[in-house]
Amino acid sequence: MAQTRLDRNEQINGWAFVMPALVLLGIFMIYPILWSLWMSFQVGRGNNFSFGGLANIQRLANDALLVQALGNTFFFFIIQVPIMIVLALLFAVALNDATLRFRGLFRTMLFLPCVTSLIAYSSLFKSMFSSDGIVNQALLSLHVISAPIPWLTDPFWAKIVIILAITWRWTGYNMIFYLAALQNIDKSIYEAARIDGVPAWARFWNITVPMLKPVILFTTILSTIGTLQLFDEVNNITQGGPGNATLTLSLYIYNLTFRMMPSFGYSATVSWVIVAIVAVLSIIQFIIARDRRRRS
Amino acid sequence: MSLLMLRRAGVYLFLSIAAFLSVFPFYWMAVGATNKSTEIVTGRMSPGDYLFTNFQSLLAQVDLLRIFGNSFFIAIVSTILTLAVSSLAGYGFEIFRSRVRERIFQLLLLLLSIPFAALMVPLFVMISRAQLTNTFTAVILPTIASIFIVFYFRQATKAFPGELRDAARVDGLKEWQIFLFVYLPTMRSTYAAATIIVFMGAWNNYLWPLIVLQTADNKTITLVISTLTAAYTPDYGVILLTTVLATLPTLVIFFVLQRQFVQGMLGAVK
Amino acid sequence: MSSLSLKGIRKSYGHLEVIKGVDLDIQSKEFVVFVGPSGCGKSTLLRMIAGLEHITSGDLEIGGTRMNDVEPSRRGIAMVFQTYALYPHMTVRENMGFALRFARVPRDEIARQVQQAARILALEPLLDRYPKELSGGQRQRVAIGRAIVRNPEVFLFDEPLSNLDAELRVHMRIEIARLHKELQTTIIYVTHDQVEAMTLADKIVVLRDGVIEQTGKPLELYEDPANQFVAGFIGSPKMNFMAAAVTASGNGSVTLSLANQGGASLSVPLSGPLPAPGEKLVLGVRPEHFGPPGAGSVDIALEIDVAEHLGSISYLYANTARGEQLVIERDEGARTGAGDTLSVSIDPAHAYLFDGAGQRLR
Repeated sequence: MAQTRLDRNEQINGWAFVMPALVLLGIFMIYPILWSLWMSFQVGRGNNFSFGGLANIQRLANDALLVQALGNTFFFFIIQVPIMIVLALLFAVALNDATLRFRGLFRTMLFLPCVTSLIAYSSLFKSMFSSDGIVNQALLSLHVISAPIPWLTDPFWAKIVIILAITWRWTGYNMIFYLAALQNIDKSIYEAARIDGVPAWARFWNITVPMLKPVILFTTILSTIGTLQLFDEVNNITQGGPGNATLTLSLYIYNLTFRMMPSFGYSATVSWVIVAIVAVLSIIQFIIARDRRRRS
Repeated sequence: MSLLMLRRAGVYLFLSIAAFLSVFPFYWMAVGATNKSTEIVTGRMSPGDYLFTNFQSLLAQVDLLRIFGNSFFIAIVSTILTLAVSSLAGYGFEIFRSRVRERIFQLLLLLLSIPFAALMVPLFVMISRAQLTNTFTAVILPTIASIFIVFYFRQATKAFPGELRDAARVDGLKEWQIFLFVYLPTMRSTYAAATIIVFMGAWNNYLWPLIVLQTADNKTITLVISTLTAAYTPDYGVILLTTVLATLPTLVIFFVLQRQFVQGMLGAVK
Repeated sequence: MSSLSLKGIRKSYGHLEVIKGVDLDIQSKEFVVFVGPSGCGKSTLLRMIAGLEHITSGDLEIGGTRMNDVEPSRRGIAMVFQTYALYPHMTVRENMGFALRFARVPRDEIARQVQQAARILALEPLLDRYPKELSGGQRQRVAIGRAIVRNPEVFLFDEPLSNLDAELRVHMRIEIARLHKELQTTIIYVTHDQVEAMTLADKIVVLRDGVIEQTGKPLELYEDPANQFVAGFIGSPKMNFMAAAVTASGNGSVTLSLANQGGASLSVPLSGPLPAPGEKLVLGVRPEHFGPPGAGSVDIALEIDVAEHLGSISYLYANTARGEQLVIERDEGARTGAGDTLSVSIDPAHAYLFDGAGQRLR
């Protein structure tokens, strides 16, 4: 079949529109990823490296700090994400009630933390959680605690501060997703359920939650990626401390590259650990999505 | 009846506590900017008269105008370039379909979830070899082609009526003219929402500028906050004042364009 | 005011062929309507003429020039879209003058032409409004106005009335007919509505599955359909089809036994070759062509299932004893209702015969 002139124009235009983006992505995304794969087989300091075979992979296996960073990241994920998602869901359901007064005001107030930059709110939290700080003062005066909590100097409490901080910053953000999804649910479904005598809690569990499942899955994926990216908060509030209790994968890579004895080859190897985790999570997500499609 | 009222009251209590906790740090930030550091760390909650002193102290440490200029320059240039490049691509992927480009797009979606941490080492090596460290070019260039924004525009383009493009073709417009004179003005609200996402991202960006900007003159406002916070004895009055200054632009955008702001945050989800 | 010629036009997407060789000549100033069920390829064909879809093979000529590879804007056509496709960010005036701007027509000339088109369509008071401030009918007129301004050789309409309510549709139909008379241009008009086709067209092109089934004047198609598909598609309610078998043939006529009437027999004159006895045929009778009992050559007994009384006429949906449903049109007066029995006759002069492949026997 002969290609007509109009056909060719279509092809030329198709490439012309996407080309700037593809070139930039090629240079600043694809190339670095491939290069870091190559680099993960290099050893040496700073800009001087040489081929080291599997040395980096062996180092990976014996790296206690990496295990710690992985563990911390996982801890943040497993504790923080469920709390945040449940809270966001509760807010959204409460705010979706058309008879509620001050809905707009509540919504704005709950969403407001999303306006802050990660650094700004990190500094804010650091000041609030200092040992004589406002949080301890408030808890003492409310007689919740009898002695100040060592928020930033105790490994356990430092993790809690990070979790509180992230939850503060992102709950309203997730809530907006759920609110948007709730508004798309046909009101008559709830009316039908009420006429059928379905109690409120059952309406929530059997109508709202299943209908929101795709959004919940989506926000979970977003939060997973967010946890893997976790850097700004830990670097500013705790610097990964005390004793690496809040060291995350991103922070560890940063430290490997710029703080400790710079080892680009090894930090590239650790970067690929993240890529591998993301790949595994993508496969899981793919399987879940496929299951869903099969069932529907 | 009373049970219902009780439940109602419970909902209000719950929301009020949550709203209070959400907003309190903002109050804390504003009040803190007017207090002495030693008072802040001991939890003073009432406005003080240290605002001016804090301001002077900040000015003594950094060239504030220049820092703000840097932040605005980076954020504005990034936003314009990102919107241009990414909306062109999103439009291109959606309007001109071909099997090869569809494959490429799927590949991009896979790359979407790769965290920046996995890229920063090779990116830094690239930038330093190109001798671009300490330049705004280094900060801006790698962020221009954003897969997320490309995806966002592709999704939005699905709502762009095909017959509008046909009409424009019959009217004699070339493809780039259709994009510029028909698509762009029709999709104004999409651009508004995307502007907010990108501007916020660039304004608040921390890790990458931290890596490539190392001289004091080039720093952005987020880097300044981080430097101040990392000091051995951080001066919280100055820090909180700076966070107020850094948050103000985004706060203003939020209150002026609340609708687009939320839409922007929701991104490409439908 | 150009003529068009389509020669062996084909269109395929990969292995899927949607237009399977269309040959058609359209005279200058002719109002041609492409009609057919959805998916028949009528819109694709129109878009190929417009240059919005590539022509896989075949030749398209407009005004004697081959146009296959010519940009839409240089084909001398203007198009009115189903969704009107008005630019939402421009006023009516800007919408109408937009194409001329890109054709580098001077400003005052654009203003003059927009003004003139607006006068024809009574759009003058709306010129500074935005599309979202207009009603459906007004948008439709602006879309037509935008086409007029370009002063095209050929107007293309793609189901322009399908988004309007019933009343407005009739109104716009008349307006389009008037416009054609006034502008004296070639018009190609796509619709799935056979009433629009019958009322507007000089020439109707009936399409099915990417093939032209028949081309002709509206009444030609109604009175002399080439096959069972066209017979069923043109006319409303559609023609009744009954199974029939040939019992005898000769002397320019064929004798049939009607399956639904327990073999009641009927002779129909034919001028062409006669089918052999035993052959299965289909007998077609339009709802409006049933006569009172005894008036034709065979009577059919029916029981009415549903009766629709429209005032001037009634449509009776009636079943034969064998369960075959027929639609009968009756003048009002005979106040029959569901459950009543009825007897009608078939007049051989108004009976159509189709062979097993659906081809008409004449």
